[in-house]
Amino acid sequence: MVERPADEHYALIFMAGAIQDLTTARQSARPRRATEEGPLARWTLILLSVGFFSAFLLLPLVAVFAEGLRRGAALYFKTFTDPMVLSAIKLTLLTAAIAVPANTLFGVAAAWAITRFEFRGKQFLSTLIDLPLWVSPVIAGLLYVLLFGSQGVLGPWLQAHHWRIIYATPGIVIATVFVTFPFVARGLIPLMQAQGVAEEEAALTLGARGWQVFQRVTLPKIKWGLLYGVILANARAMGEFGAVSVVSGHISGLTNTVPLQIEILYNEYAFAAAFALASLLSLLALVTLGVKSYVEWRARQQSEQSQISPL
Amino acid sequence: MSIRVEALSKKFGDHAAVQNASIEVATGKLVALLGPSGSGKTTLLRLIAGLEFPDAGQVFFHGEEVTHKNAYERRAGFVFQHYALFQHLSVFDNIAFGLEVRPRSTRPPKEEIRERVHCLLKLVQLEAFANRFPSQLSGGQRQRVALARALAIEPRVLLLDEPFGALDAKVRKELRAWLRRFHDETHITSLFVTHDQEEAFEVADEVVILNHGHIQQIGAPSFIQREPANAFVHDFLGLDFQI
Repeated sequence: MVERPADEHYALIFMAGAIQDLTTARQSARPRRATEEGPLARWTLILLSVGFFSAFLLLPLVAVFAEGLRRGAALYFKTFTDPMVLSAIKLTLLTAAIAVPANTLFGVAAAWAITRFEFRGKQFLSTLIDLPLWVSPVIAGLLYVLLFGSQGVLGPWLQAHHWRIIYATPGIVIATVFVTFPFVARGLIPLMQAQGVAEEEAALTLGARGWQVFQRVTLPKIKWGLLYGVILANARAMGEFGAVSVVSGHISGLTNTVPLQIEILYNEYAFAAAFALASLLSLLALVTLGVKSYVEWRARQQSEQSQISPL
Repeated sequence: MSIRVEALSKKFGDHAAVQNASIEVATGKLVALLGPSGSGKTTLLRLIAGLEFPDAGQVFFHGEEVTHKNAYERRAGFVFQHYALFQHLSVFDNIAFGLEVRPRSTRPPKEEIRERVHCLLKLVQLEAFANRFPSQLSGGQRQRVALARALAIEPRVLLLDEPFGALDAKVRKELRAWLRRFHDETHITSLFVTHDQEEAFEVADEVVILNHGHIQQIGAPSFIQREPANAFVHDFLGLDFQI
């Protein structure tokens, strides 16, 4: 991806024959591969992807920070002293702190079951894990309202026990768990399939029991892949809007998460505050991206290490 | 320690991998399981190790039935074709693994573990490599680490699954001779799987020939070569000799 554009020399050939020696020298230094397209196709593709990326991703990202800071740094930081904003941040952190570990646990268990055992309904479980990716988050939220809401299936029973789920923190956590369901499991399944069970079997023959095998052999093997899934799940948990919006009830200071609070601020024409808070989420995305790249790099190193040929 | 297998059968779905197999490896012997690929020799070895469980039949280690015991309870040293070394652990930690995972009551103290590991490293001639990682070793070195790791638990029997299968011809020959010498010194009851009859006949005290999950013949190498029990054994050996 970081290769030099090899087509520089085509341009040079057109420009002057005098520097042809130079160009042939460069040509031999970096031979053109058969799968490489001609210069026109290459540049069109590069321009298209870079242009698209800038227009739809980079520009808005810059705009968020610019807009948030437009009225000065003082106002920007004042946003984060607003009790409503603070409560939204707190709720978002709390939600992630529950949803992410829960899904980490579930993800490891599901990946373990799918890659290590043969059982009836394995295909079904594998499909089910992906469900949250296909279903619109709004539908997911609605499902929980239908289930736990006061008019819902379990509503009367919950009310009789004075348990509030919808329009309260538990509902937000449940909705977030739902949408972040697939990330850990989906990341681990292909990794664990590729790694096989030979090392686990070796550990067994050496006298290690189930838990020891997991702790001493499996966990170190999947460490980076697991971390990768956790990071993605965390980013999604903190940024989720749709499903949480349906079950939240939008009670400022009580059931608003950061994304919901941003919407409220925006609708109240508090643009600077909305963008300031939005920049916080964007920052999270950037940090996630950075950590993700590092973890991806480490995971690749690890998988290369485990795939080294026998000789 | 002897290994005795009685009427062992194992199916994978509709495929009968091992059918009614009975063998006995006398204490201190080195026996080869020989057969073409798909003959069930690896499955048989895994059944003995407790990595698979049989549909029928029994496994005994020195008279004690272990058929229903888990792999971690059998104390059978196992050497895998592709080494199966722990990639994230150093050579030292790989070999120490079997001692480190013991319950506190039977785990030797750290100093003793260190001593034993160094003893084993010396045995497999890898003293200088204690701090290396498996990915930094050659194939032959890796397999020797795997062997040292299996020996660290003071196994009751040693099971080797195509131990030299992934190595090139020269290293293969060297390790083969080394294994024979090693066995002559330690006399640990050993069973190894191979599809290479030259290897089986050169190294083993006794050879068990398998085909389609059935045992075809058991005997000393010279005996089998002189009197093949049936057409398959005859063909299997003869065909290979022409090559």
